Amino acid sequence: MTQHPGGVTLAGRPTTSSASARPRRGAPGPMERVAAVWRRRRAVRLLVGRDLKVRYASSALGYVWSVLEPLLMAGIYWFVFTRVVTRSVGEDPYIVFLLAGLLPWTWFSATVGDTAKSLHSEAKLVRSTNVPREIWVLRVVLSKGVEFLLSLPVLLFFALVTGASIGWQIILLVPAALLMATLLLGLGLLLAPLVVLVRDLERIVRIVLRLGFYASPVVFAVPDVPAPWAGLFALNPLSGIFELCRAGFFPGQVHWVHVGLSVVISIVVLLVGWTVFARLERTVLKEI
Amino acid sequence: MTDGGAVISVRDAGVRFSRGRRHRSLRDRVLRGEGGLRTDEFWALRHVSFDVQQGEAIGVVGRNGQGKSTLLKLIAGVMIPDRGAVEVNAGVAPLIEITGGFVNDLTVRDNIALTAGLHGMSNTAIAERFDEMVAFAEIEDFVDTPYKHLSSGMKVRVAFAVVSRLEEPIILVDEVLAVGDKAFKRKCYARIDELLAVGRTLFLVSHSETDLRRFCTRGLYLRQGQLIEDGPMAEVLARYESDSSASVEALRKGAG
Repeated sequence: MTQHPGGVTLAGRPTTSSASARPRRGAPGPMERVAAVWRRRRAVRLLVGRDLKVRYASSALGYVWSVLEPLLMAGIYWFVFTRVVTRSVGEDPYIVFLLAGLLPWTWFSATVGDTAKSLHSEAKLVRSTNVPREIWVLRVVLSKGVEFLLSLPVLLFFALVTGASIGWQIILLVPAALLMATLLLGLGLLLAPLVVLVRDLERIVRIVLRLGFYASPVVFAVPDVPAPWAGLFALNPLSGIFELCRAGFFPGQVHWVHVGLSVVISIVVLLVGWTVFARLERTVLKEI
Repeated sequence: MTDGGAVISVRDAGVRFSRGRRHRSLRDRVLRGEGGLRTDEFWALRHVSFDVQQGEAIGVVGRNGQGKSTLLKLIAGVMIPDRGAVEVNAGVAPLIEITGGFVNDLTVRDNIALTAGLHGMSNTAIAERFDEMVAFAEIEDFVDTPYKHLSSGMKVRVAFAVVSRLEEPIILVDEVLAVGDKAFKRKCYARIDELLAVGRTLFLVSHSETDLRRFCTRGLYLRQGQLIEDGPMAEVLARYESDSSASVEALRKGAG
């Protein structure tokens, strides 16, 4: 092996400045993957910041737009379910009950839809920058999560306007958000590589999301579901999460069994999703 | 642990691609194992092993489709080997698929910040070097236009300006020097010379013999994904040359 004729001057020797350089050997284990993502958290912040900037700063109405969509949805559902349909489900004030389910649902469906195609739509970036690939999924979960948090004032606004009681249980929004993030990360890590390999899956995900709206207790609560089916709805991890979101206004909504199921299912989904992601990563990189 | 401080260590690396649309199923894994191939698969790289010390300038030669880009992707970390291991102990600045890291809808300014940030440049560094990168790419008037409105020449200049300004010990250059006009080429050459002078490691994939002879002291010759020769650049080029003329001869004899 020959030395470069220019030689190496110690003073000018470049040291690795980026956080990315660590010895890369073979296949990283799970802890290494977590550490790798943590090390590149700046990249995550960069991408999330860019997403939020595009969302809020690029249009004239900015922030208003992002609350307008759930607001309009809540408005029409409220109208239909209080004025058109005879409603015997949910609780009063219904608009608060509805929004407390609709806002997390929006986070859920927007994220699942976007994470599923995250690797595919960012293919160029994925194949030319060496960041841990989980970041492309994590970024969507966090971006939409921030949008969820920024839409919560709307919920509080309606709670105050309708005179709903706000209890200490409002703090349960925090574990609700953490649970949701866990579930979404797991689902995203599971779907993203599969969508790259089986393109039809993207369409299937969209359809399932549309059905999922009614398979989840957004406009109703789980106890409202007749006896034999209530069990199925209880198995939906979103049930527990929505109950925690509603707890601040409707403490009676919380059923710890549902919450417990949510915790277990969310963690299992995260573990399964991450394993599938790690296994398929190599194939996905060739496909992209 | 690394072998005697090698900055890059490749051991028996293999990458397998599928020509068809189907992917390996469980059945394939069981029937053919990790070393076997389905009829529609081929090895883009096979049994490739070599070590690189900090400061070496290496040229990778071979005909098109013989594994050069795949090798660079392995070292850049954007592809994972199916067999063997690739160990890289320092940061990499990849000039591969050079315009791939840029987003059409963002302005040039945002793109530079994004790409530089994703490659690991800190915000302060980006702020410091921004004007320099823009000046190098000669796009001062276009900094706030959307990236998609740039000409392809401009796009390459921006990409090269950003990636060559990353302070990473290893640079990978994949046939990028072929693009651009004479003036820009001279700039690129000067920049690469600068980078090499401070002891960076260079991996250059090129078909241009002049470029290879100018920058590289060591050559790797890939043929059908295998490392046929690993030695001084001049010898490797001679081997490549003789192989090429031998195959042309064979073609002519076959046709005649």
